[in-house]
Amino acid sequence: MRKLGLVLIVLALAASSALGLAACGSSSSAKEGGTLTGSYASFPEYLDPGLNYSAEGTTAMYNTYIPLLTYAHANGLEGSKLVPGLAESLPEISDDGKTYTLNLRKGLKYSDGTPVKASDFPATIERDFKISSPGSAFFEGIVGATEFAEGKQDSIAGIKANDKTGEIVIKLVNPRSTFSNELGMLFAAPLPAGTPAKSLTANPAPATGPYEIVKVEPGRSWSYVRNPQWDKSNGRLMPDLPGGHVDKIDISVIRNDSTQVNEVEQGKTDWMQPPPPADRYAEVKDKYEGTQFRVEPTVSTYYFWMNMKKAPFDDLKVRQAVNYAVNTDALERIYAGQMLASHQILPEGMPGHEPFDLYPHDMAKAKELIAEADPSDRDITVWTNNESPNDEAGAYYQELLNELGFNAKLKIINADNFLPVIGDQSTEDLDTGWFNWFEDYPHPNSFFQPLLSGESIVPTFNFNLSQTDVPELNAKIARLNEVPLEAEQEKEYAELDREFMELAPWAPFGTRTTSLFVSSAIDFDKVIWNPTFNADLSSFQFK
Amino acid sequence: MPAEPIANAGPAGSSPWALAFRDLRRNRLALAFFALFVLIVAFVLAAPLWADHVADTGPNATHTLERITVDGERRDVVNPEGRPIDPVWFGAGGKFFLGADSRLGRDEMVRVMYGGRVSLFICIVAALITTVLATTFALLAGYFRGATDSVISRTMDVIWAFPVLLLAIALGLVLAVGGLQIGPLHISGSSIWIPILVIGFVSIPYMARPLRGEVLSLREKEFVEAAEAQGAGPLRVMFGELLPNLSSTIIVFFTLNVATNMLLESALSFLGVGVQPPNASWGSMIATGNELITSAPLLTIIPGTMILLTALSLNVIGDGLRDALDSKSKVRLEAHAGMAESKGTSV
Repeated sequence: MRKLGLVLIVLALAASSALGLAACGSSSSAKEGGTLTGSYASFPEYLDPGLNYSAEGTTAMYNTYIPLLTYAHANGLEGSKLVPGLAESLPEISDDGKTYTLNLRKGLKYSDGTPVKASDFPATIERDFKISSPGSAFFEGIVGATEFAEGKQDSIAGIKANDKTGEIVIKLVNPRSTFSNELGMLFAAPLPAGTPAKSLTANPAPATGPYEIVKVEPGRSWSYVRNPQWDKSNGRLMPDLPGGHVDKIDISVIRNDSTQVNEVEQGKTDWMQPPPPADRYAEVKDKYEGTQFRVEPTVSTYYFWMNMKKAPFDDLKVRQAVNYAVNTDALERIYAGQMLASHQILPEGMPGHEPFDLYPHDMAKAKELIAEADPSDRDITVWTNNESPNDEAGAYYQELLNELGFNAKLKIINADNFLPVIGDQSTEDLDTGWFNWFEDYPHPNSFFQPLLSGESIVPTFNFNLSQTDVPELNAKIARLNEVPLEAEQEKEYAELDREFMELAPWAPFGTRTTSLFVSSAIDFDKVIWNPTFNADLSSFQFK
Repeated sequence: MPAEPIANAGPAGSSPWALAFRDLRRNRLALAFFALFVLIVAFVLAAPLWADHVADTGPNATHTLERITVDGERRDVVNPEGRPIDPVWFGAGGKFFLGADSRLGRDEMVRVMYGGRVSLFICIVAALITTVLATTFALLAGYFRGATDSVISRTMDVIWAFPVLLLAIALGLVLAVGGLQIGPLHISGSSIWIPILVIGFVSIPYMARPLRGEVLSLREKEFVEAAEAQGAGPLRVMFGELLPNLSSTIIVFFTLNVATNMLLESALSFLGVGVQPPNASWGSMIATGNELITSAPLLTIIPGTMILLTALSLNVIGDGLRDALDSKSKVRLEAHAGMAESKGTSV
């Protein structure tokens, strides 16, 4: 009897301690299943991987459309690592860097049960051209792509796919070290051959990832459910990719981001996609940092560009003076503490980033340089968009130029029309202005090629706003893009960063931070923030 | 010789204007709001004095990284989280009296004063443009009638068919990018003349149509026939005979139009198609303050209150003027008073 009593006490203690442990550690108590609710401030431009080029859409489709290559579902630099997606392994690249060979995993299926075939890949790239996808530019370097785009060929000659073996061979006109990264973009995520060449936002294409998008109400909401093929086949074939924890995800559009904060606080919504509004940022940070809120970096550069082909910015001393005059501390405050000061082209988190500052704030030196340059043309137009606080950054910059002795006028353009206006070289008075750039993929070329290479200067949708065209540096950009990105190339990119800043085509002022804010019901520590795709919905789990 | 305005028949020896002025003086509510309007005008006219001698800053000068001493304590104008300083009243000798306006750390009081100048200037000049054009069109349409009337009236109908705010937004958006080219004259998209012209243009039918109706009625009067019999030409009849008889109506319309313009300018600037930053108007200040409405509601409330008080005072003044100048309403009032008197007698 005594022994029985002792056994019962031990059992009771063991049971209670087990229960206690379960109650303490979030990891052991986290549960599978449930419905995750989230909110966006606006509906993504497209819920079509061939058309989307927005950060919001990229987050929304990270776990639905898997490209041949994808990025590790991990935080920080680990999340910048390219890993096999639908392909069995990373591509085999020929010695001349022009041929990429990949093999599709066997047995993959779309969420509607259709088998994934190797020929879906060329069909997807061809669809990109047919729908004038913003991503088609990344694939123009494939042999025969230009001819296909011009309607001279029925297919892209440089892509060969074998449905029996699953082999996909891609031939490039010139070697391109960023091509593997470009294969990891959503634009290259295979869709079934025969997918209509039109936006499928209202009726999304079948998925290959752990979730499929269902019940889309454009402009209002959309939902995800588990891809029925994930457990049966795809998940087993791609064991390194997460299958997600929740069964269903409901996303709704709530225009007022302060309301979104309230809903997350009250537990009505589990996650808000945009950061809290500037007005409530400090409040949310103070209250929830470490438990429901954390600041996350972005790989971006915010800068003021100066048109090197127009007076007064055709004078190096003027551009350097502006760089000395710009005070990154002031801009950190204008961006309500959501900006990390930086005075270079490559942001932190980008391979090749080595911190330096050639122009520490020095107003006296800036004025001295302007006095030396003594520009005759002092009438300047400053361009910015109407999104807060970019408009305020523009107003700050205008005041700064006036303080340097210029007669600066501010021109604020609606954010939707901003690039079409300032990227159109027929627009008058394109002197200087605000701009930002977020990485397309973790490769430094994604900054230098479109923004600073002379080759990128085009009549419309021109991203090289500073009109930078320096033959030696153009050649260096082209040469570096022909070889794979190794430690040696990263060092060369760091040098390139410095060489450009010596010419001062921009006055960079920082890297934007964003944030993750979830309800108390979510296992906060487990939520992954990928530098390219941001919040990873497959990592959300209820406590 | 121009005919005397026929309105306001009153005691012998008093001109209609003198009678109207007498009536206006008796309207205490209108006088109180007129005093308020004068105070508002004086307030905004004093902007340079306050900016130069008290605040020591301009309306667009930024102070993001500055610190000021408030009652002996050093404080950031904008804190590291981007929160602008709240009103300090006279704690810093009048500087940042109403706090800072945004993360740029501009002096809110100075911007309210300068913004008021901009708002009032736009409203008054736009109302003048509307009044001149609407009166001209009304005289032409009402006097000539026929084809001239048809063309002018249908054009007014087309403009009227568009909701005024939507039309103003559309025009403002288009002109804000490319500016406006009128012959050799180019108006920049960021110029204050863009909202003035937009507001002035879209309001024309609202004044022209009722004025045209009045001209149609007046041109049948004997004094027009008499003038024509004496050989007066159309221009002489329109501007020498009809216009003086329209003057009381025009004055009332002008006052009410200024009030309407105040609201329209605020709406346009709030939506980003009116006064272009960094210049302030009360409407654009509401838009700026709206970003911080939870943490700093005064940034929205102050310019909003200024708009409210100005529009209200102009409306009440307009109503007072209408009562004083409008013969019909005067007749109605007198008839009403007469009935009351006769009732009192019978009792």
